[in-house]
Amino acid sequence: MAEKKCLGNFPLADEPHYEGMLQCMRCGFCLPTCPTYVLTGRERSSPRGRVALAKAVADDQIAFTGALKEESFFCLDCRACTTSCPSGVHAGRVMEACRNQAHEAFPLTGAVRKFREFILQRMLPSPDLLETSMLPARLYQKLGIQWLIRHSHLLKLGPDWMQKAEGMMPELYPPLRPQLPEVIPAVGEQRGRVAFFLGCIMTLMYPEVSRQTVKVLTHQGFEVLTPKEQKCCGAPHLNEGDRSTTRQLAQYNLDLFMELDVDAIVTDCAGCGASLKEYEELLEETGDHEKLAKFHSRIKDVSEFLAEQGLRTDVLKPVDKSVTYHEPCHLCHAQGVSRQPRTLIQQIPGIDYRELKEASWCCGSAATFSLKYTSESQLILDRKLENVRATGADLLVTANPGCHLQLAWGLRQANMPQKVVHITELLGMATG
Amino acid sequence: MLSENAIKKLTGLLGKENVLHEKEDLITFGYDATPEIQYLPDVVVFPTSSEQVVDIVKFAREEGLPIVPRGSGTGLSGGSVAAEGGLILCLTRLNRILEIDEENLTATAQAGVVTLDFFDAVSAKGLFYPPDPGSQKISTLGGNIAEDAGGLRGLKYGVTRDYVMAVKGVLGDGLTFTTGGKSVKDVAGYALKDLLVGSEGTLGIITEATFKLIPPPQAKRTLLAYFKDTRTAGAAVANIIAAKIIPSTMEIMDNATIKCVEGYANIGLPLDMAALLLIEVDGHHAAVLEEADDVRAVLERVGAAEIHEAADAEHANQLAAARRTALSALARVSPTTLLEDATVPRSRLAETFDEIERLSEKFQLKVGTFGHAGDGNLHPTVLCDERNRDEMERAHAFYNELYEKVLAWGGTVSGEHGIGLAKKDYLERQIGSGGVNVMRRIKRSFDPDGVLNPGKIFTDKDAEKTDG
Repeated sequence: MAEKKCLGNFPLADEPHYEGMLQCMRCGFCLPTCPTYVLTGRERSSPRGRVALAKAVADDQIAFTGALKEESFFCLDCRACTTSCPSGVHAGRVMEACRNQAHEAFPLTGAVRKFREFILQRMLPSPDLLETSMLPARLYQKLGIQWLIRHSHLLKLGPDWMQKAEGMMPELYPPLRPQLPEVIPAVGEQRGRVAFFLGCIMTLMYPEVSRQTVKVLTHQGFEVLTPKEQKCCGAPHLNEGDRSTTRQLAQYNLDLFMELDVDAIVTDCAGCGASLKEYEELLEETGDHEKLAKFHSRIKDVSEFLAEQGLRTDVLKPVDKSVTYHEPCHLCHAQGVSRQPRTLIQQIPGIDYRELKEASWCCGSAATFSLKYTSESQLILDRKLENVRATGADLLVTANPGCHLQLAWGLRQANMPQKVVHITELLGMATG
Repeated sequence: MLSENAIKKLTGLLGKENVLHEKEDLITFGYDATPEIQYLPDVVVFPTSSEQVVDIVKFAREEGLPIVPRGSGTGLSGGSVAAEGGLILCLTRLNRILEIDEENLTATAQAGVVTLDFFDAVSAKGLFYPPDPGSQKISTLGGNIAEDAGGLRGLKYGVTRDYVMAVKGVLGDGLTFTTGGKSVKDVAGYALKDLLVGSEGTLGIITEATFKLIPPPQAKRTLLAYFKDTRTAGAAVANIIAAKIIPSTMEIMDNATIKCVEGYANIGLPLDMAALLLIEVDGHHAAVLEEADDVRAVLERVGAAEIHEAADAEHANQLAAARRTALSALARVSPTTLLEDATVPRSRLAETFDEIERLSEKFQLKVGTFGHAGDGNLHPTVLCDERNRDEMERAHAFYNELYEKVLAWGGTVSGEHGIGLAKKDYLERQIGSGGVNVMRRIKRSFDPDGVLNPGKIFTDKDAEKTDG
């Protein structure tokens, strides 16, 4: 990459698009929707400010400084600014590109670098390695060490993040991917055939949720294909600023899924869905626009897909619960899927639906943000929990594993009675 | 850049978290929403009490720094940028609503309270604060006062000035002042508060204000009229006013604006129409019914292509919200959006549209026009690219010629955005050198050393010029 002249002071090719930064006319409409701006009141921690800084780098006004690295990772990448921006600026994408630049400008060294490379380039792209790596965690839970540690405050000795990560871990079951047959037939009259994109976190941490997703899809009349060779969607890599591994994974999954004769590629992870829908932009330089566009049109979040197809309500039985719904950022802001989950929830007989105030405000999870910025994340979470409390609902429904982990942990810490469920778990309860 | 000692002194006064001086912070406090404007301040400070504002002023005087008051930085004339460097005094952390007085129908708030938060807080008590600038979700009351912000409801309810009853603040030498009060009538001496409203931070730093509130209208109806040419839309506005109907809102969007707004908001606006008018009438139930019918009759008479009514309050809110995004939405189609704020007597509206059309052809420019038609306040916006010098020159020539006409018709170069830096060159053409000289004298009596927001509205260092 060295031979190509980089844009302004960016240290690496693959810079944020200049036109995209110029598009920002600095009206400030994004400010009140940005959790980190609302938290700090600091212009540089706002979408408008972050774009201005990236543009200043492009315009040779400043070097790619530590402050820009800091901002690119402090950004939650929640995309609330994208929804609020009438000018069509994608500040989150600009920051994603800056994360990649940050690794060039401030290279990690020694063991830390090796560890990051191992996680991103070896472990995450390999489903087998990932599943084996979770084995100790499962054993640890099964042997009851988790309970002991949680109650002995042993972990308080470590840094905050480790304690939080430990506390966030849900009860673990064996990974779903190896268990799931590659083809599962539809129940009742078949309405179509879908491929299931099973995200890493879903198969590892929430296998029982994705099991419900498959159950709901089949009971709704869809044959479900789950290719075993599928790999990570690349979101963690993009998030950590490793664009080249992201592109390799994207190309791999693109080729794999486009071989299948299916009506749609469905996922129950909002983060994966958003990432898959961005393959088109990520791989645009490969030039295969037709294939990319077709792939893009097939990617559906499970709520988006079921709402589009129309829910078969005759097979649903009543669920007598009051529920509220938290919108994952990567579903409502990154994918524009906001109305559909609410429609589905309200179609379940017996449900008492209560709208959540600020439903589309980030929960503070944001991939690894909740571990890197524990105190900021807590403040964002507290605001969410207050709104949940006000609904008095029995269940808090969401549709993304990151939110699920953070919300369940937060509710537990705050001694609140709500249980967090994925929308397909709720639909699963209604499905015989 | 400030010396280390000076920074230490400031952090001692305000706390570390309220003083920003890194280059990255200075860059991001170097702009507002005005195109082509970027100036680096030396330091940015956030007072958390009015006493701290006095301390900051004293500090700035010692260091010889100009003082530039700022809210959220959404202004459209460059009012809150440090044109000559200095200290940005950001008031966003002075953000408490101090009192809602239901007996006197007033509310008192600090300068950094966000306009919409204030609106919501008084609404919760069954009261109404009408000024609603496009950026109300983040703009601050202090900024609204300093720029005398307008909004969609200006036609019937007036602008920020009409609601300011009292102002508290600090002058450039650290003197604190209060002017006005809760009395409905007050002729005790000069109306200083009226001088401070719209003073763009050049006379004093506003830290707190008391606003007049009114009971909210009981009913509202929203009409949407489409037109095949902009001239007819202009004629419709003049005819509605001539029929002695005062809607609360009468907003116009031309075809370019309609397309951009629809592209963002997806609410079913007609992409093939030359213009649309968004009209709201509000008030007592019976009066609203009658007025809506009267408006409809005028629209039919002048030949609107289609007339629709908002289905419910939610739909009406969607339409108003979409209109508020017009300027930012226009930025979708070009890298730079040069916006102006020409205002003409309403009877001249149709001619103004003709003139905009003629000039955009003459200078070969793409122009989107929207605005508060009922106020005669239009925002013709040139969609251009700041990297194209030739195009930028043509854009400025376009405005130059447009303003000549606007002024000849008795209009103004700025209806609601202020002069700031962006329109300094036009001020004298409108009010003459005599007018500017009076302003200079006023400025000098408030701020003899010229430390408050220097370089805005007019260049105050110039010697007083004489007429002719």
